[in-house]
Amino acid sequence: MKTEDKYLRMSANERVQHFLLLSSFIVLVITGFALKFPESFWVKGIAAIIGQNTFEARGIVHRVASVVLVIVSVYHVFYLLFTARGRQLLKDFLPKKQDITDFIQSMKYLFGKSETKPLFGRFSYIEKMEYWAVVWGTFIMGVTGVILWFENFFLKYVTNTGMDISAAIHYYEAILASLAIVVWHFYFIFLNPDVYPMNKAWIKGYLTKEEMEKEHPLELTELEIKENKNISEKNINES
Amino acid sequence: MISIKKNIIIISSLVFLIGLILIFADRNTFSTSKDTDACLSCHEDKDLTMDKGGKKISLFVNPEHYKGSVHAGAECVDCHLNYNPDEIPHSKNKELADCNTCHDNLKGIEKSVHKKVNCYDCHSKHDIKSAKIIREDQTKNCLNCHKNLNIRKFSSSIHAKKDVGCEDCHKGGHQTEKISKDEVNNVCGKCHNNNKMAFKNSIHHTVMKGGNKNSPVCTDCHGSHEILSSKISIESEGCLNCHLNEKLFPGEEKGSAKFVAQYKTSIHGLLKKGDNEAAGCVDCHGDHMIQSPDNPASSTAKARLLETCGKCHGEIVEKFKKSKHGTEYLKNSDKAPSCVTCHGEHDIKSTLLSDEFSKVNIVEKCLKCHEDGTIPHKSYQGEEELISGYRNSVHYEALKKGNLNAPTCSECHGAHEMENADNPESKISKKNVALTCGQSSCHQDQKKDYLESVHQKGVSENNKDAPTCNDCHGNHSILTKKSDDKLAKSKSLIKLCSNCHSSVELVERNDLPTKVGETYNESFHGLATRGGSAEVANCESCHGNHSIKPSSDTSSTINKKNLPKTCGKCHEGAAEVLFTSKIHINDVQQDSPWVFFVTKFYLIMIFGLIGFMVLHNVLDWKKKKKLSKANED
Repeated sequence: MKTEDKYLRMSANERVQHFLLLSSFIVLVITGFALKFPESFWVKGIAAIIGQNTFEARGIVHRVASVVLVIVSVYHVFYLLFTARGRQLLKDFLPKKQDITDFIQSMKYLFGKSETKPLFGRFSYIEKMEYWAVVWGTFIMGVTGVILWFENFFLKYVTNTGMDISAAIHYYEAILASLAIVVWHFYFIFLNPDVYPMNKAWIKGYLTKEEMEKEHPLELTELEIKENKNISEKNINES
Repeated sequence: MISIKKNIIIISSLVFLIGLILIFADRNTFSTSKDTDACLSCHEDKDLTMDKGGKKISLFVNPEHYKGSVHAGAECVDCHLNYNPDEIPHSKNKELADCNTCHDNLKGIEKSVHKKVNCYDCHSKHDIKSAKIIREDQTKNCLNCHKNLNIRKFSSSIHAKKDVGCEDCHKGGHQTEKISKDEVNNVCGKCHNNNKMAFKNSIHHTVMKGGNKNSPVCTDCHGSHEILSSKISIESEGCLNCHLNEKLFPGEEKGSAKFVAQYKTSIHGLLKKGDNEAAGCVDCHGDHMIQSPDNPASSTAKARLLETCGKCHGEIVEKFKKSKHGTEYLKNSDKAPSCVTCHGEHDIKSTLLSDEFSKVNIVEKCLKCHEDGTIPHKSYQGEEELISGYRNSVHYEALKKGNLNAPTCSECHGAHEMENADNPESKISKKNVALTCGQSSCHQDQKKDYLESVHQKGVSENNKDAPTCNDCHGNHSILTKKSDDKLAKSKSLIKLCSNCHSSVELVERNDLPTKVGETYNESFHGLATRGGSAEVANCESCHGNHSIKPSSDTSSTINKKNLPKTCGKCHEGAAEVLFTSKIHINDVQQDSPWVFFVTKFYLIMIFGLIGFMVLHNVLDWKKKKKLSKANED
């Protein structure tokens, strides 16, 4: 049966969170780098479309997107703490010793020192890196962003030196985050031969069995064991 | 010399002879004959008359006059031929006395205009006067007959006052002549030789020799008998009599009657000095030796104009000589203007009253020569700036709207003392520009501020790099500050300051803070301006404008002490801030170690982490591809 081949990866709630995260992130990247590189062709292109108040609009949109991102982030914290699925998610995301072993094994495998490819559970070290990088990045960008936004308030606490540092961090962190998304996240979602042309879990919420076998074999096994248990329990109950 | 001596001898011996005759006459050597006495016995009656054609004619002869006359020795009948004293009337066929019977050797009488005039019209009848006596008062004698207005005016003429008589020009005596036009110059030249010689070199004489019958001689300008003084009384009228005649001087070109007619409405013609014009024709053109202006020797030739105009306008000409215009003029430059280039020739107008010298219109006068780029002009921000750029300037705009305080060319450059900036004495030399722009009723506040600035300090130390007013505002095309496009203004201001402060050479030469432009451009302020924010701070917002001072100056807007106030203009919260590091961080490591550390940290992260990610994923991709290929096989 086809429906049995689908495994829930992201619930509707999580997909909405992810969608708000990605859309606000993209808007922040565009409106942020538009400030830093005002003479670049794409900024000029946007300016040509929007017209006279491009710069003011850029600032407003950047702040609106940041508010969206902060709200989603705060919600996500509540989600992690106060929903069963959230708590499980947090638990699954927490780094474990196994991740280091997996990483070392993966390196050996990738460099051809070993023929054994490590088997991953629900979240591989790759995804955990991704997740915690986002957490870290959002926190850093949020703090420095708020300082820069409310410069009148923060100037007296951080002085102009603090403003300069905030601006430097905000800029370099933006580059780091953007590159990480493009190089790390986009590879695994788009270019990765296992899922090419795209891992549709963020839209559909489900992975196929084939995808599960390739990316999350341990989770699959766990789920299958669980299912078998259920079936056998069911059968026992029935019988 | 010998002939003069001879004449003196002859004249004195004649006088001696006549004296002798008179002495003898006094002694009654020549007493009246009885016949004469007989005549006088009747004719000494004052009431003796006769009728002729209904008119009473007096037949009275004053015996004393007769006896005192040179004819005292002659009988009445010697002149009154065929007279019979016994008959009345004495003669049927009255004949006029024929003086020729005795006086038959009168020199020149044949040629004289008086050939047909009766002798006694001059010598009178019975009280015959000797030539000597007539000569003593010949003019009066002449005027007895010559009663037309022109000749009568002779009595009040300068010639009459200076004892010049009719005979001095017309020869007099029996040789009295009319003077033909051809002869006039020679006759006057007998006394006025210098003027005659001068006239011989004049255009008038040249034209005369060329056969032009309208060319003037002495009397055409000075008049003939009524000459009052050597200066022609209505001197211009003398010249204008001919030169306003459109038949004699047709067309509209130089030299035409129309051209000369402009004089009538000129300040020279309208303004009076006593009875005369402020400046008459001769004051500029000279008198007897008048020349065509094309002749380089002419007083109105370009080369001699300063001398000519300087006769009256000496002070102004001296200023002009020192001016840029003047020095070029003195070098005989073709382009150099002279007095007439600006003021015109015959149509010279009052600079105070006429339209053409109004503040707005004088611009057109100057731009007539300075319109294009052929005459050296200033560069501004590395680009050549045409003088005609003034037409776009805020100064000209204001002037056209009726603001009479707005400057026109002469306000900055001077009028006759016109100078360009190269001359340290000029009003617009680097050191003087601020004083000129800041003159009373102009930009005094700005001047006051500027004079305190570090820029002015440089200028006062002869630093060629230091800017003064025009280095930032431009020269002629000073634009309005109140531009609607705030962003464009902001950007152009940044560009303006960067011209100097981002020039590596200039910054090094003057030991100025480095990279101020770069650091601004990379700051939020700079990025925002580049991105199109009109509101964000530019150079001027923090540094001020005219009174720019270095941060070391405690009164500077960017002195550490004053930064909270300066930044507080936009960022309220900055008012209580302690500024802990430089604003323009040109050396990160030294000026802001924390920023340096953050930068370094992130660069390592970016290259390290992202590099690792790329490597990781490339390997991952290869493995997976290989695996899927193996599976397919």
